[in-house]
Amino acid sequence: MTAVIQATLNGIMMGAMYGLTALGLTLIFGVMKVVNFAHGSLLMVGMFSAYWLIKLTGIHPYLALLIVPPILYFFGYSLQDLVIKPVFKAERQVREPLTVIIVTTGVWYVLDNLALMLFGAEYRTVRTAISNKSFALGQFIISIPKFSGFVVAVATAVGLALFMRKTKIGMALRATSLDREAANLMGIDQYKVYNIAFGLGTAIAGIAGCVLIPFYYVYPSVGVVFDIRAFIIVVLGGLGSIPGALLGGLVIGLIESVFSQFMASTWTEAIIYAIFLVILFVKPSGFFGNKQDW
Amino acid sequence: MSRKQLDTSLLTLAALVAFGLPLVVTSPTYLQILILLFFYAYLTTAWNLVGGFAGVLPLGHSVFVGIGAYTSTILTLQYGVSPWIGMLLGGVLAAVVGVVIGLPTFRMRGAYFCLCTIAFAEGIRVMVENIDYLGPLHVNGPRGLLIPLKEASFWHYQFMSKLPYYYIILVMLLVVLALTWFISRSKIGYYLAAGGEEPEAAAALGVNVANCKLLAMALSCFFTALAGTFYAQLMLYFYPKGLMGLDLSFEIAFIALIGGRGTIAGPVIGALVLRPLNEFTRIYLSDMLPGLHLVIFGLILILVMLYKPQGLTAPLAAAYDRLARRITRDTTPKGEAA
Repeated sequence: MTAVIQATLNGIMMGAMYGLTALGLTLIFGVMKVVNFAHGSLLMVGMFSAYWLIKLTGIHPYLALLIVPPILYFFGYSLQDLVIKPVFKAERQVREPLTVIIVTTGVWYVLDNLALMLFGAEYRTVRTAISNKSFALGQFIISIPKFSGFVVAVATAVGLALFMRKTKIGMALRATSLDREAANLMGIDQYKVYNIAFGLGTAIAGIAGCVLIPFYYVYPSVGVVFDIRAFIIVVLGGLGSIPGALLGGLVIGLIESVFSQFMASTWTEAIIYAIFLVILFVKPSGFFGNKQDW
Repeated sequence: MSRKQLDTSLLTLAALVAFGLPLVVTSPTYLQILILLFFYAYLTTAWNLVGGFAGVLPLGHSVFVGIGAYTSTILTLQYGVSPWIGMLLGGVLAAVVGVVIGLPTFRMRGAYFCLCTIAFAEGIRVMVENIDYLGPLHVNGPRGLLIPLKEASFWHYQFMSKLPYYYIILVMLLVVLALTWFISRSKIGYYLAAGGEEPEAAAALGVNVANCKLLAMALSCFFTALAGTFYAQLMLYFYPKGLMGLDLSFEIAFIALIGGRGTIAGPVIGALVLRPLNEFTRIYLSDMLPGLHLVIFGLILILVMLYKPQGLTAPLAAAYDRLARRITRDTTPKGEAA
């Protein structure tokens, strides 16, 4: 029983990381109606940025949280502006912008393999003062970096939800998400909103990169692990839903961690896919999704 | 010379070149590259039946390649059935699986459909990697299956040289191209195009969009599975990650999009552009810098989508049209032109 509770705790903390990754993906989908296949690669960029920042300057890992996300915001903003927007414009008439999906896949290939060219295929990790620290909660052991990650993930989700509710930009994002034509007519520049959404989504990938790096390996194709999980999570929680992403992340983390107590970890992966398909068939709109979206 | 004569003679010339190419290309390495080029053109043409005409973007077709390869190989290894028979059985099995998947998923919108096909294909791959025995069938988990060398004969689908493989895949490609041509000119083809663009409008006009899509899916999966058997017999070894991974599914979609999805020549043009590029950059650049060839691959994809979102076939067809008009005008007497 102790092992199961310990696995549950670990699952919740890892699930929060999946949820944090899915948060950026769901934000971009919610506003643009595009599944961003490059999202895992953007997480990888975030992880490498945090890795080099900490490695080269020796700052405290969590100070990177102040530096990496803004950089990633501008990276995502420019990427959307220069690469994705033109394709989007060309496909303006199409309700389902499938070509855009393929462009993001191209971005994924380019980013992952650029990282491979620059940094090689080896697994890297930063050993910091907090990497191996943990605290005891009764008889259970909680790793400090993972716990901090969990806290940051929840804080990011709450912060994003507040941002979407309270600020003018957040309202513009939500308006565009609901009806891009109507938002256009109200004087909202649709493409500028897309840039901001993509930038924010990428910045969140940067946040995830910063909190992952003290306890997770970084390598060029690390994004794929999180990508597939993030896809499953956003469908589980409802594409475009912020609480759905976090809750979906926790569910997937729990399934992965608890099931792996009883069977080979490769089987838990198969179970995750199976659950995903069942959800798609039974309730494609997910926990909190919008019925009109699917 | 009329336009029709010009078209026919050029097509005949292309076919002659394709059939005669092994006379010039004798190196097994280059022959293998050509075989793989046709293999990918074939796979993409089969994908195009549903991905091009039905207006959806399936990203899990590698699973059907896997069904084909596993069906024929397990039947050959354990029951001594000729791969030719196993190939047809695998095709039928893939078509059935395709319809079962298509029934619930064709109701979905683009993004959900994409994610669903990916999850399905990856789920099956992970399961195959975890299964050693499925009932009496020896699947051999992540290690994959090795086909032992038997006597070279047509019945065993094993040959001494690459040449028979070349002609087999060429004929397969021509068959599936002819089928695509036939479908694009049939009622079903028009229904598919209508259903892909405006499902509601097409349904309102009495088109059974769902049934057309299911038929396209069944055909597409059937032909995709045949390629699986071909691959197994060509390489004599395959394993789940290499054969059924996302890479293959994505590459098929890339070739289709760069060539131009929903066109007959698109998959062939896409394969003609991407495959040699892929092979040669891999051979010459991957030693220099690992990953460089895939960066180039991704950049080309992005550039084509930026500047020619409809793929390369439409501008090439327009250029050919201009050229053909000039030629036919030059050589036909006055009054017969146009």
